[in-house]
Amino acid sequence: MAIQRCSQARSIQSLWLTGDWFGRLSARKGRQRSVHMMRRVFIAAILFVAVWAPSLLVAAEAGRADLMGKLCGDAASLGDVGRALVGIAADGSQDERAWATPVARAVIDRKLTCDTKGAVVISGEGSFDALTREQRVAVEGGRSPFLNLKNRALFETAVAALALRTAPDPTQRGAALRTLERQAAGLPEHLFEAAAEQESDAGLRAQMTAVAQAAALNSADPAKRIGALKRISATPDRRALTQVRALVADPAYAGDPEFKRAVDAAIATIERGITAGDVLAALYNGLSFASILFMAAIGLAVIFGLMGVINLAQGEMIMIGAYVTWMVQEGLRRLAPALLDWYLIIAIPAAFLVTAAVGIALEAILLRHLYRRPLMSLLATWAVSLFLINLVRVTFGTQNLNFVTPFYVAGGVPVIGDFIFTWNRMFAIAFAVLTLGITWGLMRLTPLGLNIRAVTQNRTMAGCIGIPVRRVDTMAFGLGSGLAGLAGLALAPIYSVNPQMGQNFIIDSFMVVVLGGVGTIVGTVVAALGIGQINVLIEPMWGAVAAKVIVLMMIIAFLQWRPEGLFAIKGRRK
Amino acid sequence: MSTFSRRSFLQATGVAAAGLASPIGMPAIVRSAHAASGTVKLGCLFSSSGTMANIEGRLNHVVRMAADEINAKGGVNGRTIEVAVSDPASDWPLYAQVGKQMLEQDKVAALFGCWTSVSRKSVLPVVEQANGLLFYPLHFEGDENSKNIVYVNSPPASSVLPAVDYLMGEEGVSAKRFFMLGSDYVWPRTINKQLKGYWKSKGIPETAWREEYVPLGFSNFQTLVNQIRAFADKGGGKPIVVLTVVGSSIPDFLREFANQGIKATDVPVLGLDMVEADLEGLNTEPLVGHLNCWAYLQNAKSAANATFLKQWAEYVKAKNVPFKGDVVIDPMVSAYNSVHLWAMAAAKANSFDVLEVRKAFAGLSFDCPSGYKLGMTAENNYVSRGVFIGSVNEKQGFDILWQSKDAPKPVPFSPYG
Repeated sequence: MAIQRCSQARSIQSLWLTGDWFGRLSARKGRQRSVHMMRRVFIAAILFVAVWAPSLLVAAEAGRADLMGKLCGDAASLGDVGRALVGIAADGSQDERAWATPVARAVIDRKLTCDTKGAVVISGEGSFDALTREQRVAVEGGRSPFLNLKNRALFETAVAALALRTAPDPTQRGAALRTLERQAAGLPEHLFEAAAEQESDAGLRAQMTAVAQAAALNSADPAKRIGALKRISATPDRRALTQVRALVADPAYAGDPEFKRAVDAAIATIERGITAGDVLAALYNGLSFASILFMAAIGLAVIFGLMGVINLAQGEMIMIGAYVTWMVQEGLRRLAPALLDWYLIIAIPAAFLVTAAVGIALEAILLRHLYRRPLMSLLATWAVSLFLINLVRVTFGTQNLNFVTPFYVAGGVPVIGDFIFTWNRMFAIAFAVLTLGITWGLMRLTPLGLNIRAVTQNRTMAGCIGIPVRRVDTMAFGLGSGLAGLAGLALAPIYSVNPQMGQNFIIDSFMVVVLGGVGTIVGTVVAALGIGQINVLIEPMWGAVAAKVIVLMMIIAFLQWRPEGLFAIKGRRK
Repeated sequence: MSTFSRRSFLQATGVAAAGLASPIGMPAIVRSAHAASGTVKLGCLFSSSGTMANIEGRLNHVVRMAADEINAKGGVNGRTIEVAVSDPASDWPLYAQVGKQMLEQDKVAALFGCWTSVSRKSVLPVVEQANGLLFYPLHFEGDENSKNIVYVNSPPASSVLPAVDYLMGEEGVSAKRFFMLGSDYVWPRTINKQLKGYWKSKGIPETAWREEYVPLGFSNFQTLVNQIRAFADKGGGKPIVVLTVVGSSIPDFLREFANQGIKATDVPVLGLDMVEADLEGLNTEPLVGHLNCWAYLQNAKSAANATFLKQWAEYVKAKNVPFKGDVVIDPMVSAYNSVHLWAMAAAKANSFDVLEVRKAFAGLSFDCPSGYKLGMTAENNYVSRGVFIGSVNEKQGFDILWQSKDAPKPVPFSPYG
């Protein structure tokens, strides 16, 4: 039995020839497949180890030295090392895995230096020799092996496979499992089984078993294959579909009716999942684009609706909001590094107040003198926009600002099919909803909102009944600018922040405001949702360029039919 | 506000449109002194505003730096170089207008400028008509050979094709399927046309690629990244993305790409216009491994490069230039090479006359910071450059993945287009 196992090991892992026997045997020691068989294996193993142990240790050392040599070799031998490391994760002993883990990590991070005496790994615990693990620093003139894309993939797999076995933290093991899941079919079969066996976390163990089952798609046992199909169709995406569709050409598909049924059922389930995922993705993308449009437009809706001022500097208010966010981040970095991750939340009042102050200053200094001359105010705000762009460019430079990506806006989670729920978009959506709530509350529930609505509806009459029209104008301009500042904050984790960023938004936001009907919040919301969703629906069919053209044509056509927009304020205006 | 009506709105937008279209304040755009005796003037056509500002703007300073360097050594033909800087504001027709003005009014001896091919195409008739000289520092789509333009960077045959070949080869990722994503203008469309021709010549079926374009300045890449994922998961071989979007679209695309969890080892992106400056402001850790290809990378190992990097850092410090002193990109080096090539040719011809200078190009060679020797022949105005393939690292830069043995002879016209 032992001999049989040994030859099996040799065929899988020729590189780790001697080390393998030992590792595989000890890894399988606790396996409860058959007591009888276990006992035989165990006895054989003990005999084997007793006779061979000293020479085995030497051989393992030699294997490692060989690997180190290859590690410092060319791209092809680096690839061999990557495969060998995956092999260690699956079959190696605990000691070997512990040795391999920092080495694999160091190669990816380029923290491994090859020098005349071998290789040195620099890790959190200092710098030590990769082979002997003795503390030492690299000899001058060493070089770090550089991974090309193929080898990088191998080492990423190796790191994840080793983490699956050795990482102390269950979340790390979980992350490793998710990385490996996508390529399960190409990995040593028993990697997941072995990991599941020693796993202490019950939930994670179940997941590992599931992955192991899914990996058995091409095994010899038909029952296992059908089980694998069931597992695969539980996570439907296009990758799974490609994998399962390939089975239609499999001889078993024609020969075994049960297998055929299972494959057909799996394909149907996966296709349903993909369709659901696509629908959700389209909705989510539309919603996220709409939230961006809404954020950019809501401030303008207040200003344009109230005063009819075409504020071309509105985009620059968004830009200023983003820059204020950046300054808050830098301030936190200096004063309270512990809070750095929360800068997006902490910056909310600053972004609002600073841009509101800029808006109020703009209104007080410039626009209030131009209210009776809309053409002049349009040109003046355009000049202001150019002025602000160049002011920022001179002060901060033209480069994109460096934002920390806090954990709550990084990455995403796959939901169903190919739909990935990305957190930065979710942040923008949540922020847009929050802004909508606050704006609605301000307009409907506060005296200022009442005044703004009154002035919007009929300026002269509002003035007659004693509303301080000019002051309402100033406050409304401040509010509109402050909302744009918040938009800048929400956009910081999604788009590049540079002096020109505001110009991308000005046309889109006017589009939303005019379509929605001047001065109505609900109109702005509906218009943003409509434009966002239509854009996202057209894009995959005819491309992004055509989507833009078609949306603009639709808006023109719509405004021909309803010049006052979707939701016009009823009553005598002007 | 009672006067606000549709008519006034139309008038207003009309005026605004006219304002945008006609270069108000044109005289101020060209900042230059009167041509004093004892100086020779060079003109810069790089935008300091608009979508290209962040990357194009720094080239103005590089031209100035190169001119200062030459002036410090006594100038050219006994004259000192004076550099006139302009701002065509990323507005393609404005490049032609400003270029014309520089050639005719400022009498510049040579122009250095343009980033996008569309701006070069708009300047082309102007320099041909005025018989001027434009040094163009970007790698581009080729298929053009004007005697009035010096193509200092590489055509596709010595930039894009080696990189695509590398990715298709054993050493790369054995790429079999290609998603082409570009900004909607001449450079991406021509490059993609040539690539398709190249793949066809290799017997790759048409179903193996897909082509998508976005407007310039586009930033909402969610749907497109979804499409790329769907394309990649279809199976049928390793997929790659050939990215030809430009300007601020590059970081926006990369951010969305990383956010949807796609790694370089899953689907590598070959960013043909991607430079170090595009990675500023990005967390590049999830982007490690994506590729670009240029005739120079900052990590190039050569003595000339060390000198150049030091020179730029010092220049940034001394002149308070609003760009990073520790970031150098290929077009900067190409602009630097351009000024030197021009100065060498003018010195060789002992004249600033365009005809004489052009004749002197044949046989010129210059030690480029990339470590390769640049060469020009009498055949055309192309310059032979080395080829680098870079790979994004954690530090917002590029590691050298592959580089050519020598500088291949440039092929202006692609046989695949």
